[in-house]
Amino acid sequence: MREAPFEEAGMRTHRWASAVTVVLVVAAVLALAGCGLTGQPSAVKSLTGAGATFPYPLYSKMFDLYDGATGVRVNYSSIGSGGGIKALTDKTVDFGASDAFLTDEEQAAMGAPVLHIPTCIGAVVLSYNLEGKPSLRLDGATVAAIFLGTIKKWNDPGIASLNPGVPLPDLPITVVHRSDGSGTTSIFTSYLSAVSPDWKSAVGAGKSVSWPVGIGGKGNDGVAGMIAQNKGAIGYVELVYAEQSGMPAASLRNSSGAFIAPSLASSAAAAGGALPDDLRVMIVDSLAPDAYPISAFTWILVYREQQYAGRTLQQAQALRDMLTWILTEGQSINESLYYARLPQAAATKALTLVNSMTYGGTTIPR
Amino acid sequence: MVARQSRGDRRELVRERVFDAVSLTAAVALVATIVLFLLQLFIASKDSRAAFGLPFLWRSEWNPVTEQFGALPMIVGTLITGFGALLVSTPFALGVAIFLADYANRRIAGPVKSLIGLLGGLPSVIFGLWGLFVLVPLVSRFEVWFGHLVGSEALVSAGTTGVGLLSAILLLAIMILPFSASLILESLIVVPAELREGALALGATKWDTIQNIELPYIRRSTVGALVLALGRALGETMAVTMVIGNGIRMPHSLFDPSNTLASAIANQFLEATSPLYISSLIELGLILFVLAILINVAARVILRRGVET
Repeated sequence: MREAPFEEAGMRTHRWASAVTVVLVVAAVLALAGCGLTGQPSAVKSLTGAGATFPYPLYSKMFDLYDGATGVRVNYSSIGSGGGIKALTDKTVDFGASDAFLTDEEQAAMGAPVLHIPTCIGAVVLSYNLEGKPSLRLDGATVAAIFLGTIKKWNDPGIASLNPGVPLPDLPITVVHRSDGSGTTSIFTSYLSAVSPDWKSAVGAGKSVSWPVGIGGKGNDGVAGMIAQNKGAIGYVELVYAEQSGMPAASLRNSSGAFIAPSLASSAAAAGGALPDDLRVMIVDSLAPDAYPISAFTWILVYREQQYAGRTLQQAQALRDMLTWILTEGQSINESLYYARLPQAAATKALTLVNSMTYGGTTIPR
Repeated sequence: MVARQSRGDRRELVRERVFDAVSLTAAVALVATIVLFLLQLFIASKDSRAAFGLPFLWRSEWNPVTEQFGALPMIVGTLITGFGALLVSTPFALGVAIFLADYANRRIAGPVKSLIGLLGGLPSVIFGLWGLFVLVPLVSRFEVWFGHLVGSEALVSAGTTGVGLLSAILLLAIMILPFSASLILESLIVVPAELREGALALGATKWDTIQNIELPYIRRSTVGALVLALGRALGETMAVTMVIGNGIRMPHSLFDPSNTLASAIANQFLEATSPLYISSLIELGLILFVLAILINVAARVILRRGVET
């Protein structure tokens, strides 16, 4: 069964083939070895970052414009928040990006203080598949009960009492959640933990949780696909995704008792309340009266002390300038890509954080 | 033969030596890669092995929030989908191989063979998309029908999504079919012509020949082929993730959402940050790796015996 092209083709071809093989193998070995050599680019012409996938469309647009304006290229790999945190911990990037702030454990692993610079506000919406796409109104306790599996049908009194006049079918609810670990899940489960003690004790909050019921879809598109395919399904996706794909989204009762539809304005409003100086805060279930309750910052993470792993002052300056640009001029890009911009107060606090970065213990000079 | 070495001979000798060295390096690197893989998985899963020990294999809780991890739901999901797919696809694989070896004329066999090759070469995400948009709705309809048939209200109301073990089994069955079919076909082709002709000459019908001569002759290599196909099914990630429902709970029926070792890793690794969580996911990888090695060793043993007899 074995083929033998060389024997038939003669000695000449054989030699030729072996020479080519040798060249190829040697080239492959050299290429592998070469990978180690082409490491860090020489300072200020480029910055590297890695992390969250959620703000990736925004970041790539921002960095593209920033390159055009300043000639500094920012290479951002959207490898996930976990990967971004790890890359920053390993000091292989200039900045990391994450949809969840560092836990105390992660902060400790960093070995040095890390600043959380918010860049935009994301919101998570509840979308569903019901005949006629009625607009639904829900509250925290009801959403928690649906995702805990205690509310099983759409015509449950808990849902019906919030939606007088909306015809709700006698249809089982199919819960759809994310199967991959994600910042979206972290925001959504943080909200549920904030509004429902039952949820907090039974499941809790995190990028992946142990879901009591439902099916999992990978990514926003996976969840959206499963919602679209199943009558009676409900799931959560990012506002960006729901807006762009025209999915129905439920209005939620916020902490002031008002039903708020998810939008750029209402999610930005969630950051309108009092904020701590380090901006390391979840703004779910915000106290602001017109806030959509499932909103959250997404952050760029940098070390406060920029002199590490052989970094130059120029690199630190380039990073500082880039972050400043994102918080000022860059903010005007946010809404065109369906990301809420930071309210002025939050942006000011973020700028203060950026300016608190140091190089060798002193403020980075302009 | 001339005693004196010509310049050409010496150049040839040097070339031989260089080639020997390079190919030896490549061979050693390959073996080293596998050993290092295993070693790395073992080392990186240290936290998880220390925290949960051997019970990791039969604990059924998987909770990233409380950091309680056990691999049983994934192991069960992996084995059910793998063996289920094998069960479904084997009759078809045998049928296709026998048809191509003994019944089809050349004009049909050629295109069919290349189509099988094509099917085997399709990226699994394409299978996954097809599974999600075509297979899953069909399975969903079957679920409702089956639920009415057996009068199970629970099944009808809870299991109408179509995603779950059954969809994964059917999709995997299709994905491993080209693999096992072409391996079986290869062993059918090498059944000695004398045996086949002898049987026919003795008055055996075509089916007699297949049943009494060919199938017994290829029995071992068929088992080997199936075991290799099983190995492929166990490790399949993308397509399975798209149709299995990704519920990390012990499944109670074939319609339940489930999870496999590979899909759990693919889903969760990217955003896992705590050391114990990462370590537990790596231990899932270790389990899958060991499973794959066991299956491949089994296949080799069976195949070798097949050659000897």
